[in-house]
Amino acid sequence: MPLSLAKTGEKNVISRVGGKEETRKFLENLGFVVGGEVMVVSEAAGNIIVNVKDSRVAIGKDMANKIMVAV
Amino acid sequence: MSIKIALAGNPNSGKTTLFNALTGSNQFVGNWPGVTVEKKEGRLKGNKDVVIMDLPGIYSLSPYTLEEVVARNYLITERPDAILNIVDGTNIERNLYLSTQLMELGIPVVMAVNMIDIVSKSGDKINVGKLSDKLGCEVVEISALKGQGITEAAEKAVKAAKKKQAVAAAHKFAPEVEAVITAVENKLTDVSEKQRRFFAIKLLEQDDKIAEQMKQTPDVSAEIKELEAAMDDDTESIITNERYLYISSIIKECYTKNSKEKLTTSDKIDKIVTNRWLALPIFAVVMFIVYYVSVTTVGTWATDWANDGVFGESWSLFGLEIPGIPVLAEAGLDAIGCADWLKGLLLDGIIAGVGAVLGFVPQMLVLFIFLAFLEACGYMARVAFIMDRIFRKFGLSGKSFIPMLIGSGCGVPGVMASRTIENDRDRKMTIMTTTFIPCGAKLPIIGLIAGALFGGAWWVAPSAYFVGIAAIITSGIILKKTKMFAGDPAPFVMELPAYHLPTVGNVLRSMWERGWSFIKKAGTIILLSTILVWFTSFFGWVDGSFRMLEESELDSSILAAVGNAIAWIFTPLGWGDWRSAVAAVTGLVAKENVVGTFGILYPEWAAGIEELGDNGEAIWATLAGSMTALAGYSFLIFNLLCAPCFAAMGAIKREMNNAKWFWFAIGYQCVFAYIVSLCVYQIGMLISVGTFGIGTVAAFLLVIGFVYLLFRPYKESGTLRVSGTLARAK
Repeated sequence: MPLSLAKTGEKNVISRVGGKEETRKFLENLGFVVGGEVMVVSEAAGNIIVNVKDSRVAIGKDMANKIMVAV
Repeated sequence: MSIKIALAGNPNSGKTTLFNALTGSNQFVGNWPGVTVEKKEGRLKGNKDVVIMDLPGIYSLSPYTLEEVVARNYLITERPDAILNIVDGTNIERNLYLSTQLMELGIPVVMAVNMIDIVSKSGDKINVGKLSDKLGCEVVEISALKGQGITEAAEKAVKAAKKKQAVAAAHKFAPEVEAVITAVENKLTDVSEKQRRFFAIKLLEQDDKIAEQMKQTPDVSAEIKELEAAMDDDTESIITNERYLYISSIIKECYTKNSKEKLTTSDKIDKIVTNRWLALPIFAVVMFIVYYVSVTTVGTWATDWANDGVFGESWSLFGLEIPGIPVLAEAGLDAIGCADWLKGLLLDGIIAGVGAVLGFVPQMLVLFIFLAFLEACGYMARVAFIMDRIFRKFGLSGKSFIPMLIGSGCGVPGVMASRTIENDRDRKMTIMTTTFIPCGAKLPIIGLIAGALFGGAWWVAPSAYFVGIAAIITSGIILKKTKMFAGDPAPFVMELPAYHLPTVGNVLRSMWERGWSFIKKAGTIILLSTILVWFTSFFGWVDGSFRMLEESELDSSILAAVGNAIAWIFTPLGWGDWRSAVAAVTGLVAKENVVGTFGILYPEWAAGIEELGDNGEAIWATLAGSMTALAGYSFLIFNLLCAPCFAAMGAIKREMNNAKWFWFAIGYQCVFAYIVSLCVYQIGMLISVGTFGIGTVAAFLLVIGFVYLLFRPYKESGTLRVSGTLARAK
């Protein structure tokens, strides 16, 4: 499921990062690698704040839809 | 021989705090050549031979942001003697990702694990020895904020630089990846041995920028194919994954976590502050407090002190009555028997003009303290996130909000703050629209028009901000539909720093950096322009001879001649009087000048600008006699929206870094201002007095055109879809 649908406070494992190459690489550098854990900390109208590798990253709705995760 | 140490690390890792602590006030701030990334250099406290270079905050050495390109070009071509890699101890896994890349450069590296005080407070432990073994560099625990361990870190870096021996990177990838890297390394015979790993990996990642810099590039397509086939991914992702896998494999031994699964304080604050319902109200309250304090209470007190005291009659220091600068200067000039014209220049020209500007400084500094605090504590990043929801609707990114917020104080630091926006289109659009927000210097114009022509009506000032915001929104939508700006705004991805209390020193430093850019402008460009305005308004031809004029002869001045020549341009806007035209033109030099110019040009006012505040009614009556309320409002709108002052235009030019874009931005602002003022005046005249003429027709046509531009369908982005960050990273 896309990260935008993940429940707040639940740990998920990234299964795919989509989107444009430039953004995808930027996310990879920030720690969004396949197999890594993410947790949604806060959600507001589809825009989310996630915890990844102990740092907080804010992600807009469109991007959150392109990151696939599994519980 | 001086030693060069580069400070490298992630954004928000405390790099700037460490840099300030290490160098104190021995700093030189500039730009990296050709780009608008800030370059900071300083000398180490207590050892002047050591130069510390503060590299921009980066997540990696890949070429996706301008900062990364700048940082790695410096590291590869300038080759500092050592790298001090600052790592956020509370977020070590992600930070080590950059460290593994720095280790491959073949430059001695010392790692400083920062925020160790927070780490130990939460009960976590970092095994420095293990970390050092696994990465191959010396590791020091520090707290930049508390000054703990920083001397040791600097000493170790200096020692490593003197030894000149880089320790090879200790990390290893999966055997099949390593085999391919070694194969490529063996082809790089003309690269020095310790740099081979870096170049080999970059070639495998198909990094064109690095390939361009190499003397000769061996063909590695076979190796890339082999690796991609074996791992079923592109090489760049494979390498990224390998780095994180290595870090994950060592992190358990190096970092003992006490706090499991618990939400950190920052997360708890975020749950409230960025909450779906509470975020906007909280933001509104914070902003209200900031502006209430800096504009009305403390701000007014500071401005009054500066304007009426230091640059007015007198002010008191601990009960001691000290006369203001104009009074002192006048007494001094009288005492030495100064010539009248020189006295006029100094008092009416320079001191009155520059003083009027410097009078804003205290108020602006109060605002900048607040903004610096909000930035340093981490709230500003959340503001960008909250506002992104709204800004995205009209084609801007949430990150555009911060420049506009700062721009409400002064446009110069506001435009400069647009640097943090990575996407080229978003950044250019932000630069173009930021100065629509009324800055501190435009407030006197609003005050003058509101007081003189609207009887001090309460709604004039808020309406000015409303016009500014509306201009940003409509410009955002209109520009987004042009070919130049077509395409979605870049997806919002932004790291949020942990909340923390900033140090007083850092807040003050940031306040000062912004305030200084304003003061500098008062000292240079405004000084020159006040002299020019004074000269051109007090000299002219009377009965065929050129001489200094009396105050009643201003109609014959050079300035009047210029004003009369251009006044026709503004006639359709309702203020074709030469004085208003001149005021608007001097407003381009500095917006504060508009009020000052009126002060010089209306002889009744010439009693002195410093009395403008107290003696308001008389002045207002004069202005009210020569301008209708509608014309006054049109004048106000034009001055709010047209090209900003020279200093801000300079900032736009620097940030655009391209003459064509600069002129486009300035031209757009002026045309936009002209059209809006024209429509307001002409349609206003039709409604209020029933005047109908060519102007009215033009106004209606313009409104129709405007509405069309606003509502026409979005264009598909065409050929101009060059990736912004890459395009400007030449």
